[in-house]
Amino acid sequence: MRWFSSNKNKLLMLLPTVLLYLAYILMPIVIAIYYSFTKFTGIGTPQYVGMSNYQRLFSDPIFIIALKNTFIVLFVTLLILIPGAFLLSLLLNKKMKGLGTIRAINYSPSIIAPIMVGLIWVFILDPQIGLINTFLTKIGLGELTFQWIGGETLTPFSVAIVQSWQSLGYIATIFLAGLTLIPKDLYEAADIDGASKFQQLIHVTIPLLNETFKLNIILVITLCFKIFETVLQLTNGGPNHLSDVLVTYMYSTTFTAGEYGYGMAIAVASLVATILFAGAFLGLFTLGKRVSNKEGV
Amino acid sequence: MLSRVLTIAITLLVMIPFLWMILLSFKDNQAILSNPLSLPESFNLDNYKRAFETLDMALLYKNTFFIAAVSVLLGLVITFMSSFAISRMIFKREKFKNSLYLFLIAGLAIPPFILLFPIYRITISLGIENTYLSLILPYIATTISFNTLLFIGFLKDFPTEIEEAAVIDGCNLFTLCTKVVFPVVKPVIMTIFIFNILYVWNEFPFAVTLISDPSHMTIPLAISEFKGRYNIDYGGIVSASLLFIIPQLIFYTIFQKHIIEGMTAGAVKG
Repeated sequence: MRWFSSNKNKLLMLLPTVLLYLAYILMPIVIAIYYSFTKFTGIGTPQYVGMSNYQRLFSDPIFIIALKNTFIVLFVTLLILIPGAFLLSLLLNKKMKGLGTIRAINYSPSIIAPIMVGLIWVFILDPQIGLINTFLTKIGLGELTFQWIGGETLTPFSVAIVQSWQSLGYIATIFLAGLTLIPKDLYEAADIDGASKFQQLIHVTIPLLNETFKLNIILVITLCFKIFETVLQLTNGGPNHLSDVLVTYMYSTTFTAGEYGYGMAIAVASLVATILFAGAFLGLFTLGKRVSNKEGV
Repeated sequence: MLSRVLTIAITLLVMIPFLWMILLSFKDNQAILSNPLSLPESFNLDNYKRAFETLDMALLYKNTFFIAAVSVLLGLVITFMSSFAISRMIFKREKFKNSLYLFLIAGLAIPPFILLFPIYRITISLGIENTYLSLILPYIATTISFNTLLFIGFLKDFPTEIEEAAVIDGCNLFTLCTKVVFPVVKPVIMTIFIFNILYVWNEFPFAVTLISDPSHMTIPLAISEFKGRYNIDYGGIVSASLLFIIPQLIFYTIFQKHIIEGMTAGAVKG
C-alpha cells in the first residue's frame, strides 16, 4: 500500500485516535500518578508530599479491609464461577431440545448494567425483605437467615455470588467455544481404549482446555478487581467501610471525602495489585504447565 | 437424563432474580413488606404507573441513545482509520508501526477507575462538564484499545490483492477505505459494535463522575438514584427497574446470536 503512504495521509488517518488516546488514557495515568504524590483537597494547588500517601496505605485499617474484601470476592468468585461455568459448558455441549433458549437465558445477566444487577440483588439478599431470608423463614429454616448484606462479615461473599450470577453464562460460553475445538476422534479413540466418560473428562477434555482455563481465570481476575456498582448498590461500602472493596474505597476517598491525593494513591496501588496478581498467576500457570509436561514425558 | 435435569435446574436458578422482580412488581408495598413470597392477588399495575410518572423515560432513553450512538460510530470510524494506517501503510521504520500498535492496545490492561478523577479534572479544565461531549470523549478513548486489537487482528490476516487492484484502477484513499476495505471488515465491525454499544449503554463510573445535571442523565445514572428517589417504595424501584430491563432483554432476544458470538469473540481475542 505504498501509494497512499505519504506523511500527510498517515497523519490524517492516525491523528484522531492517537490524540484522543494520549489525552484521555496516557495523560490521565500520568495525572493520577502525579496526584498520588501530593496532598490536594480541591482548593489551591496540590502540595508535594513524597511517598507519604503510599506509606499511609499500610497503616490505614480501611485500606487493609478493602484489600482483604477484594481478595475474598476474587477467591470466592473463582471458586464458584470456574467450576460452575465449566459444568454448564459441558451440559450445553450436548444435543438437547431448546438448547438455544437455555443458552440465551443463562447468558442474559451479562448484558445487563452492573448497576442494575446490584439493585436486583438487593431484593434477593436484603435481610428483611429479600427472597433468601423470607424463603428460609417460610420453610421453617429461620435459624439459617443471616445478614447477607449490611452486616459485618458476609457482604463480600454475597458480592461474589452476584458477580458469579452475572458472569456464569459469559464464562461458560468461552468454555463452550474451547470445547467445540476439541477433535471428536480423540473421544472415539478414548472410547475404543475403554476410557470412562469421567476418565475422558480428566485426561482429554481438561488438559486440552488448558488455555481456555487460563483465559477465563484472567478474565475473572480482571472482572473482580473492577467490581464497583454491585457494592455501591448492596451496601455502599457500609457499615463503616466494612464492606468496601478497593474500587469503592478509592471512589469514596476521592469524591466523597475529597482527599484527591490519597485517593489516587489507592487507585495506583490497586492497579499495581491487579497487574502483580494477574502476572503472578500467569507465571505460576506457565511454571505448572512446564512441570506437568516434564512429568508427562 | 441427569444432565437435562441439571441444565434446567441451573437455568431456573439463573432466572430466579428476574422472576422475583416481576412477582414483586405487581404487589403493593404493604404486601411486599408483610408477605413477600405470596403470589400477587391481582395484576396490580399501580407500581408501573407510579414509575412512569416519576421517571422521564423519554429523556433518559434520548440521552443514553445519543451518547451511545455518537461514541460508538465516531469510535469505529477513527479506530478503523488508524488500524488501516497501521496494518496497510508503509512506514520508514517498521519498528515504529509495531510500537504504535502495542502502545494502542496497552490500554486493555488499564482499569477505568484510575482514569476517573484525572478525566474529571480534564473535563473541568476544558469547561465541558455536564455535556454529552464530556462522556463521549472518554467512551471513545476507552474503546480504542479493544477496537484496534480486533481491527488489526482481522486486517492482518486478510489478503491485500483486491485493495492493490483497486488502487491500480485509480481509486483514491477515501473510496479505498469506504468501498473496498469497509465491506471486508464488516464481520469484525459487528463484533466491535455490539461490544461498544453494550459497554456505553451500561457504563456507570464515568457517568456518575462527570454528569450531575439531571437533563443530561443516562439510564445507569437514573437507576443508581432509584433507592434514593423511591426511598422505601420497593414496588416503585422494582417496576422502574423492569421498565429498563425488559426492553434490553427484548433487544437481546432479537440479536442474541450476534451478541453472544460478538462478546465471546471479543473476550477470546482480547
